[in-house]
Amino acid sequence: MLKVSVVSPEATLFEGDATSVVAPAFDGEVGILPSHAPMITVLGQGTLRVEGATPARFAVAGGFVQVVDNNVRVVTEKASVIK
Amino acid sequence: MAKGRELVGRIKTTENTRKITRTMEMVATSKLKRSSDRVSAARPYAKALGDVISSLFNAELAERFPLLRQPAAERRVAVLLITANRGLCGGFNANLIKEARMTVAYLEEQGATVDLHVVGRKGIGYFRYVGREILTARTDIGDIPTAANAASLVDGLMADFISGAIDAVYVVHSKFNSVLSTPPHTERVLPVAAPKRSGAGRDYLLYPSADTILTELLPSYVRNAVYRALVETAAAEQAARRTAMKSATDNAGEMLNILRRTYNRARQANITQEIAEIVGGAAALQG
Repeated sequence: MLKVSVVSPEATLFEGDATSVVAPAFDGEVGILPSHAPMITVLGQGTLRVEGATPARFAVAGGFVQVVDNNVRVVTEKASVIK
Repeated sequence: MAKGRELVGRIKTTENTRKITRTMEMVATSKLKRSSDRVSAARPYAKALGDVISSLFNAELAERFPLLRQPAAERRVAVLLITANRGLCGGFNANLIKEARMTVAYLEEQGATVDLHVVGRKGIGYFRYVGREILTARTDIGDIPTAANAASLVDGLMADFISGAIDAVYVVHSKFNSVLSTPPHTERVLPVAAPKRSGAGRDYLLYPSADTILTELLPSYVRNAVYRALVETAAAEQAARRTAMKSATDNAGEMLNILRRTYNRARQANITQEIAEIVGGAAALQG
């Protein structure tokens, strides 16, 4: 299981468990599964998908993803929930 | 009964004033709740950003980033003062303006030329009044500041810093420690002081590279510092207004008590006098 949080300057948009995360990195999508090696990557523009019991989709632009010990932190300057 | 009539008038005006201040207190209370929620909602982002920057940061990298450039002397600096658009909040704006004046005086003493940028009608009003030049005057940032507001404020200053036109940027704002403690505070946002590294650094896979990540994140870090200053000041304004309006309401209540007591005493004295006159008159008739 991954612990995922999506934060923007104004609010924490998502916090919870997920089985996988697909993030729009600067050079294309990056998929993150449990036991991923520690990683920091810059985000581009696109859709962030969180899959699991409570799936969610976000439109993000800029910022970064940090993965460490099954914690995924998506930190982005512009983020909005896609319904 | 001339005195009585006058007192009735004063009691009425005081009651009306108390109604207004009480309403303002309640409005400020509900706005304060939302503003202080925004202050705490901004924390995870700031923490995440600080963590990553401190884990990537090292002294050798620092030399290559214009935002981390440490000028030998501060020749030209920018001071960004954040005040409220509205008054009736006690000494809130006055304290911020005083802090800004002290900061400017100190910097000028050190031999720097100070550019003044002001947010909020109250600060602008003061510095116009004393005849100081204001480079940016913004009144469009309301009770709910956004990250975009912060970006529009600081992006120009960041560009000036990178080009070397200015050597430092100071922000004068209110810290929101708690509802009762909102001291004015001067913070240097540029050059960036790298956050202290907490705990051992991990070996991260970095895409594309530490350099690129820092180039992306340092401006965000500066923008976030300004965003936090904006939300904290907005919350502090509501806290100050609530306190000011609460004491105004209390004072009006006290004044009402005194006025009512004086009025009743005057009324009683009047009645006593009338009775004495009637009794006196009847006694004179009986002769």
